Amino acid sequence: MDREPTVIARTVTRLVVPMILVTAIALLLQGHNLPGGGFIAGVLTVVAVALVYIIFGLDYLQTELFDRNGVTVPYEPETGIVKEFGNVFALGLAVAAGSGIVAMAFDLPFLTQGILFVEPLPIYGYLEVASALAFDLGVYAVVVGALLTITAVVGEE
Amino acid sequence: MLAVVVVPFLGAALTPLVYRVLGERTAYYAAAVAAVCLGLVANLGLSGAHGTVSVPWIPEYGVSLAFYVDGLALLIATLASGVGVLVFTYSGGYMHGEPGQRKYYATLLAFMGSMLGVALAADLIALFVFWELTSVSSFLLIGHYQDADASQYAARKSMLITVAGGLFMLVGFILLHDVSGTALGEATFRLAGDGSMIASAGAMVDALRAEGLFVPVLLLVGLGAATKSAQVPFHIWLPNAMEAPTPVSAFLHSATMVKAGVYLVGRFRPLLFRDPEWVLVFATLGLVTMTVAAVLAVGASDIKELLAYSTASHLGLIVAGFGLSGYVGAETGAFHILNHALFKAALFLVAGIVAHEAGTRAISELGGLGEDLPITAAVTVVAALGMAGLPPFNGFYSKELLFEGTWYVAKDAAAGGSPLWWLLPVVAVFGSVFTFLYSIRFLMLFFGEKPAELGEVHSPPLAMTLPAVVLGALALVVGLGGVTATVGVHLEPLEQFVASVANSAAVAGTEHEAISYHLPTEVTPYVLMSAVTIAVGAVTYPFFDRVRDGVRTLRSVDPLRPNWYYDGATETLDRSSVIDVVQTGELRTYAAALALATAGLALGAYAAAGVAVPELAFAGLELALVVVLLVAAVSAVAVLVAPSHIAGVLTLSILGFMVAIFYILASAPDLALTQLVIETLVLVIFLLVLDRLPAFYGGPSRLRAGRDAIVAGAVGLTVTVTVLLSTAGTPDDVIAQYFVEHGGVPAEHPDFFLDAGGGGNIVNVILVDFRAFDTLGEISVVAMAALSVITLIAMRDRGETQ
Repeated sequence: MDREPTVIARTVTRLVVPMILVTAIALLLQGHNLPGGGFIAGVLTVVAVALVYIIFGLDYLQTELFDRNGVTVPYEPETGIVKEFGNVFALGLAVAAGSGIVAMAFDLPFLTQGILFVEPLPIYGYLEVASALAFDLGVYAVVVGALLTITAVVGEE
Repeated sequence: MLAVVVVPFLGAALTPLVYRVLGERTAYYAAAVAAVCLGLVANLGLSGAHGTVSVPWIPEYGVSLAFYVDGLALLIATLASGVGVLVFTYSGGYMHGEPGQRKYYATLLAFMGSMLGVALAADLIALFVFWELTSVSSFLLIGHYQDADASQYAARKSMLITVAGGLFMLVGFILLHDVSGTALGEATFRLAGDGSMIASAGAMVDALRAEGLFVPVLLLVGLGAATKSAQVPFHIWLPNAMEAPTPVSAFLHSATMVKAGVYLVGRFRPLLFRDPEWVLVFATLGLVTMTVAAVLAVGASDIKELLAYSTASHLGLIVAGFGLSGYVGAETGAFHILNHALFKAALFLVAGIVAHEAGTRAISELGGLGEDLPITAAVTVVAALGMAGLPPFNGFYSKELLFEGTWYVAKDAAAGGSPLWWLLPVVAVFGSVFTFLYSIRFLMLFFGEKPAELGEVHSPPLAMTLPAVVLGALALVVGLGGVTATVGVHLEPLEQFVASVANSAAVAGTEHEAISYHLPTEVTPYVLMSAVTIAVGAVTYPFFDRVRDGVRTLRSVDPLRPNWYYDGATETLDRSSVIDVVQTGELRTYAAALALATAGLALGAYAAAGVAVPELAFAGLELALVVVLLVAAVSAVAVLVAPSHIAGVLTLSILGFMVAIFYILASAPDLALTQLVIETLVLVIFLLVLDRLPAFYGGPSRLRAGRDAIVAGAVGLTVTVTVLLSTAGTPDDVIAQYFVEHGGVPAEHPDFFLDAGGGGNIVNVILVDFRAFDTLGEISVVAMAALSVITLIAMRDRGETQ
């Protein structure tokens, strides 16, 4: 990235990135009934971060967003931000697999999902809680962690 | 019984984790794993468990993971785990500060598991798999010092020779399997135990003879054994294998892996023993190896090289023993496997101590080490004299058995009118003289004048001396057992154990309860043979240097060196043009090969299955769809003529976005959303990477463009046909119906329910509920991809040492 990004690009990025992130969360939550889901939400989150990365650089990501001052080599897998990314997808895998194991604890087949209706609630009336949401969160974390790792490592090359 | 084989592999898998905690002390963890195995093996032996344990593996082909325990299996298993304990302990001292220890211990443990597998396997296929696993781990361990050219050469050589031999052996196994169909009524891979080939050896041999396959099978199995056990002319890999760290040499290349070959000979002896083919093949092979390798050992200039040739020579002795007829043959082989493992492993550990503490392995630079290394010297006295075959040390008794065996075989054959067989005892004595010479030479490293330039020799750490002392002491006990037996006190557990080993290799009907070994009490022909050996050896030793120079002169004649043929053959292959065409080192070649192969296999499968490509139906196509697809097609063409990378990628993304719109029109919002987001991300990554590439494509040559067009066309055709076929198929919509019925929230439902998805978006419900296991697999793949990127790119500069 030899060229300095324009002011327009920087300003637009600042505005757009939060919107993308909110959209991603919305997609994650509404996935059960409307288009969306963990995978799409994850990729969308990565797009937001990648945008910051392109416009401001990985160093900015590391120092400003993730508050890791003093680490000079961002893609060093033991100290840099990549380690955090790695933790994210490891955690995601654990959550996804763990949500399946919980079902086994109740003597049900691995990855059995249940639905719980909580009612009555103010404003919403009722809330449908799917245990699949935990699994979807796992998917989301894996996608975010893995794709960010790849983007960061490849980008640094 | 299964645990014996599983434990080492489990231990190997855990080694990287253990290494993190223990560091260099991983050696003692590995020794503990080996000790557990030794305990399990000992338990098998003491409980007198004999018989088979079987786990189905590929039932369709009658292949099972079957294990069988008898004397021979117990002996090899005991060696593998027992010497394992000592070698791991020794490694703790020897490998101090060496690179790549994590890999070293993991591989060594895996090797031990494979060796235990070889020893206990009762199924030919299982035997073969474990057999090759030992070859692979040996390859890794010989090449331990990855950067050294000599290590690479040695590792490749041992791999080529032993694996090639193993493949011949596999052919032999498959022939045996085929024949067992006629012999036993049902084709089986079972080698030992009830209903096995050995249990009805007579019928098997008759069937083999009827098919004319007896000699081929004998030779094929023999080839496997000969390559593994470094028999002439395949002995050439063993001296090179000494590039491995010394504990590896002691473990793999003297006590265990090379014993796999002789184990195979002993194991097949009850099945395939027939006079005269068997005797001719194995007695000759063994005696020739014994002699040639002993002569070469005299010419060695490095102590490990000497021991390597000596190992080949003694393996020859064992093969010769198994090759001889009668019970004495089985006895020779069985007893010498044990004796050789004891004294040779001890000597290798001694060699390691010498190299470690004196800093050199050259025979000419060493001498008078006894002063500084008194304990090591004592071990060497016991082990080297055993190797020389001097009474009352352990090697004497098994060598005496060999002499006895050759004598009787020759006498019987001569009585039958073939005096040529007298060569057997003559060659045996001739080879033993050289064995005597090099054994004494090795021993003399510890006596006499210490060369001035040798410098200070340190005392080795306890972890290194203790294993050598244990092995030496065991060798001494075996030797003393013969002395006490002479006066009537027998070392009964040992004698019974050797008898049980010999019985596994004995031809049915000749088994013994126990064998007895002792010092000779009367003058027999074979006692005289021993006396002649020792006398000639003692008389020749003062002229050792001259004998050695003679051997070296002989060795330098090219056509006499198997190495000359090996190097010639590999170099010719290396230079041949085949490699240049196949392995260009260019990514495009491999990608093209991969794409063409996939297309060819898929199209070939369609053709073989005879499926008809369905008619294209254009009716009812919406105008909007047509427009979108047309734009996509145009942008696809535009990619080809794009003037720069950036333009190409941007045009390509037009194609991607058109596909997304197509999904929307085809009412698949989830797919469209995913496609859009992915397309954006890919575009971003592309742009990141493109920044580093030159701005323009070079003009491709016409030939290359044509070739690429063919590859692209083939892939396109395959995809088109696949899509047509898979969308034309209309399976019963049971699954789809099930999903639709159970995906949503049922009309009447309790607050909590499990039997329905409860979601309005059927795609997502399938992903996270009905087919969640698939999704779990997919995210594992995603995580795996990220991990590989980290290891391949970010960690590529880091070596094994950190």
